[in-house]
Amino acid sequence: MPFRVLSAHHLTRRFGDRVAVDDLSFELAPGEIFALLGPNGAGKTTTLRMLAGVIEPSSGSVRLGEDVLTRQTAPRLRSRIGLLTETPGLWERLTIRQNLLVYARLHGLTHPTSVVDEALDMFDLGDRGGDIAAELSKGLRQRVAFARALLHRPDIVLLDEPTAGLDPRSARDVRDLVRRLRSERRTIVISSHNLDEVERVADRVAVMRGRLVALDTPPALNVRLFGARVRIGLGQPASAFVDILTRAGFVDIQAHDGTLSIAVHDDNATPIIVRRLVEAGADVVSVAREQARLEDVYLRLMGGES
Amino acid sequence: MIALLGKELADLRRNPALFMPAILAGSLSMLLPFVIAIMVPAFAGERLSESSDFEVALEMYRDQGALRALDPEAAVQAWIFQQFLVLLVVTPVTAAMSIAAYSIVGEKQARTLEPLLATPVTTIELLGAKVLGAFLPALALTGATFLVYLAGVSVFAEPGVFRALLLPGSLAVTFLLGPLLSLAALQLAVCVSSRVNDARSAQQIGALVVLPLTAAFILQVTGMFRLTLPLIGAAALALLAVNIGLLLLGTVLFERESILTRWK
Repeated sequence: MPFRVLSAHHLTRRFGDRVAVDDLSFELAPGEIFALLGPNGAGKTTTLRMLAGVIEPSSGSVRLGEDVLTRQTAPRLRSRIGLLTETPGLWERLTIRQNLLVYARLHGLTHPTSVVDEALDMFDLGDRGGDIAAELSKGLRQRVAFARALLHRPDIVLLDEPTAGLDPRSARDVRDLVRRLRSERRTIVISSHNLDEVERVADRVAVMRGRLVALDTPPALNVRLFGARVRIGLGQPASAFVDILTRAGFVDIQAHDGTLSIAVHDDNATPIIVRRLVEAGADVVSVAREQARLEDVYLRLMGGES
Repeated sequence: MIALLGKELADLRRNPALFMPAILAGSLSMLLPFVIAIMVPAFAGERLSESSDFEVALEMYRDQGALRALDPEAAVQAWIFQQFLVLLVVTPVTAAMSIAAYSIVGEKQARTLEPLLATPVTTIELLGAKVLGAFLPALALTGATFLVYLAGVSVFAEPGVFRALLLPGSLAVTFLLGPLLSLAALQLAVCVSSRVNDARSAQQIGALVVLPLTAAFILQVTGMFRLTLPLIGAAALALLAVNIGLLLLGTVLFERESILTRWK
């Protein structure tokens, strides 16, 4: 990893006797989407708060590039971070525009009005700026909260449950936005219970339960837990070819109708399998790497706990 | 801090009902001296200056050189209207108290505090905006109440009585001691607001500051104590020190971590 835009070093946070986050370490590159997964109380929000400089770690540190986040540096470094909190937290009696203007000014932006206008346009809120926050739908509130978190163009964006409670369309808008942020080389940390959403957007995931349980890319976690498998679609019943592959040294073979699922140990195995099958007269219709869903990986890591 | 102050004032503009209790209380406390000094004597057909209850007032009042020219009835009226100025000072404090008491608790309950704390805003800026957001409307209310009071006195009271309200002592109580005390009360309310979980507790504890004012009012009326200019000056200095102390105390008491992580 050439440059770490955000890193956590042995991050630990205690609340009295309870350890909410225990010895968490990771490093994130520009443009990376990093997901924090874990059950309720696993320390995801606490981790995000520490990364945002809103609360301090009991031990360990957070670095933004080379700068260590401390009580003294936090006010300055917070301008590089955009935090989307679990609830939108809008001032209900103010309009969308007023909500955003206050934040633009708090961030010391030189032309707050024009920045807010741009943000309203970017989030398709151009004609809603005068709407009172209390009257907005949940999806719109979330959009305003997103606009607020990004007003000052932070290079690090922390999202706490960004799609919680949103309808499918709003959730898709959020995913599109996250991808757009990645294309702008912004580093994104998402805390989420929505494994499907994480699987679609995250480059790496950290599964945590206070302590870090696992950290890797979703495919690598899948391989680590379930092993690599190749799924081959055939034009004939698959059971007729199990023996051929067994003789070729493959030990874990499952056949179901016209599909073979074979455990492999390296990428070279796939051409060998296809060659043996074709030599045996099989009509190979499709070849694909078999991948368990992130949900399966997560449940295996959590020992069945959701 | 100006950005946050703007937000506080915009929020208040959209919720003018917050000031209704203060306006009602202000109107009542304004009405009371008119009832005592003008309506009751008019209905009873008696003059206040003939009542032995107000001898103390007459004696005290004649000490003030600037108003020795007033006739006895006007002197008693002037005394009454001057005493009730203290109550007029209390009214905006009570109004602002509910705003200040709700300030931090309200942000937490509405879940608006966390995004706010994720900005570069410092604790002192946040608390300053909260205090001023309650104080400036209170100050405006004090000014408006005073003007209405003055107008009422000039119309309904004996000629020359309204000048008693324009003496340095009266003005100092209204525009120096009152605001300083309001500021202290509001700072106390904001301090408490950042330590308790609900606005009611903050309001109840913060409201304790009204007690010294009420005590001063009672002592003045009974003639046991008089707010002279030197005393007002000394009290103002003391209040200034208290205000600075409360500002520092507020920044120490405001534990953003506890507020975010322990309040539910």
